[in-house]
Amino acid sequence: MSAVEGGPAGGGISATNVAILGIVGGLVGIYLASILNDITATTYFSFFGGIGAILAGVWGADAVRRVCSYGLGTGVPSIGMVALGMGIVAAIFGLALCYVINIPVVLGPIIAFIVAAIIGLIMGTMANKILNMNIPIMERCMVEIAGAGCLVMIALCVTISGTLVFESHVATDITILTSVVQTGFIALIFIGGAMIILHPFNACLGPDESQDRTLYVGVEKGGIIMALSGVASLMVLGVIPAALTIVIGLLIWIVYFTKFINLTKRDAHKVIGTGLLPTEEELQ
Amino acid sequence: MTDFISLFDPISIVLITIGGILIGMGVHFIPVGGAPAAMAQATGVGTGTVQLAAGAGLTGLISAGFMYHMLGNDGLTNIELIQVMVSGAVGAMIMIAVTMFIGQLVYVYCVGVPPVSAKVDKDPITGDIQDIYVSKGTEGHGIPTVSFVSGVIGGLLGGTGGSLIYAILMNAGYPESIRSIAGPSPEIVALAGIFSAGVFYVNAVVASYNIGGTIEGFHDPKFKRVPKAIICCLIASLLCAAIAVPIMGGLI
Repeated sequence: MSAVEGGPAGGGISATNVAILGIVGGLVGIYLASILNDITATTYFSFFGGIGAILAGVWGADAVRRVCSYGLGTGVPSIGMVALGMGIVAAIFGLALCYVINIPVVLGPIIAFIVAAIIGLIMGTMANKILNMNIPIMERCMVEIAGAGCLVMIALCVTISGTLVFESHVATDITILTSVVQTGFIALIFIGGAMIILHPFNACLGPDESQDRTLYVGVEKGGIIMALSGVASLMVLGVIPAALTIVIGLLIWIVYFTKFINLTKRDAHKVIGTGLLPTEEELQ
Repeated sequence: MTDFISLFDPISIVLITIGGILIGMGVHFIPVGGAPAAMAQATGVGTGTVQLAAGAGLTGLISAGFMYHMLGNDGLTNIELIQVMVSGAVGAMIMIAVTMFIGQLVYVYCVGVPPVSAKVDKDPITGDIQDIYVSKGTEGHGIPTVSFVSGVIGGLLGGTGGSLIYAILMNAGYPESIRSIAGPSPEIVALAGIFSAGVFYVNAVVASYNIGGTIEGFHDPKFKRVPKAIICCLIASLLCAAIAVPIMGGLI
C-alpha cells in the first residue's frame, strides 16, 4: 500500500553511515548503561539504554524507508512487526544464553545481534528467492531491520531494568526476566520498539518524502518510547533513575518534534492558517 | 556444553514448526483487503494481513493460556494439549468472526455496498451471482459468504498453530521435574507468550508477503501460492523453534 512504488530511495546520509550509527550507537548505549550502572553500583545511568534504542531505531527506520520505497504490497507496518518478531526472538536468545551456558553477560547483545542478522538474512533470501518479491536490497535491508529490532529490544530492556543480567541464581537480584518479562512491560516495548522502526516511513511516505524529515520522526518517536519505558522503570529502579529517563526522553521528543515541524514547513509548498469553516450565517 | 545440546528437543522443535506452518496457512484464508478495502473498493476487511492475523492470533493465545492454566499445572497429557489447541482456535475464530461481522455491518449499512466478490462469478458456497453486483472500477466490496467462511477457517488454523507453539514452549519451560500444584512461575508464562507472539508475527508476515498483501479467501486465485508459504514458514519457524526451545528449557 506504499504510495511510492518503484525506484530506490535516495538523498541524505548514506545507508552505510546510518548503519554504523545504529550499530555502534545502539551497542554503546546498551553497554554504557549496564557497565556504568555496575561500576557505580547505582541505576542512574539506565537512560543511556534509551538513547541507544533511539539510535538503533533510527537505523531501522532508515532501512524500512529504503526497502519500502520499492513497494511491498502489504503496508509498511508489516515489516516493522517482522523486525520486532525476529528481534525479540534473537534478543531473548542472546541474553538468556549467557545464563544457560554461563558466559559473561556482556557477550549477550553481540550474540543476539549476530543471531538477528542470520535470521534476517534467511528471511530476506526467502522473500526474494522463494516468494519472488524481487526487491534488490531485500536481503541487506532484512538483516538491518532484524538487527535494529534486536538492538532496540535489548536497549529498552536495559532502560527498564538497568542491567543486562537476564536471569540470576540469586532470587533478590533485579533481572530482565523478573523486571521486564514477568511484569509484561515486554509487550509495551515490543509494540513501542516496532513504532520507532515502522512509524517514521509510514507517516512520511509519499513522492516528497525526504530522509531527514523521516528520521526526525524516528528520533521523536524514540523519545516518547524512552519516556514511557522510564514510567515503566518507576517500579523497578525507583524514582530518580526513572525520572532521569522520563525527562531526557521528553526533552528529546520536544526538540525533535519541533525540528520535524520545521522540516514539514520547509518541504510543504505553503503553510497558511485558514481559520475555522464559516458558519451558515456568515456565508449569507 | 553437552548439557546445552541436550536441550534441543527434536519433538518440540518439530511441533513448533508445524504450528508456524498452520499460522502461515491460516493467513491465506483470512479475507484481507488492505487499503482498497478500507475504501470499499476491494473485497475483504479493510486492514493489513498482519493486523488481522495478529489480532486473531493473540486472542487465540489468550484463550489458549486460559485453558492451559485450567489444565496444565500438572503437565499436559495429549488430550489436554488438544483441548488447549481447540480453546485457542475457538478464541481466534470468535475474534476474526466478530471483526468480519462488524466490518460487514459498516460496509452494508454505512458505506452502502453489497458484499460481493470480484474473483468468482458465483459464490462457491451459496451459489449467488456475484459479477453483476460489483461496482464499476472496484474489485468487489464487503465480505461475501465464501470469504466469511474462509476467514473463520483461517482463524481456526491460526489459533491452533499459535496455541500449539505456546503449549509446546510451556512444556519446554515447565518440565516434569519441577511440576508442582502451584503451577508454572509467571516469568515462564510471560516468556512463552512473548516468544509465541514473536514466532506468530514472523510467520504471518512471511505469508502476507506471499499473497502480496490482499486475498479474498480460498476461492481467490492467489490461494494457489500456499505451497511457497509453507516452505517459507517451515524454514522460518524451524529457525525460531531451534532458538526458543533450548532457551525455555535452559532457564529452569
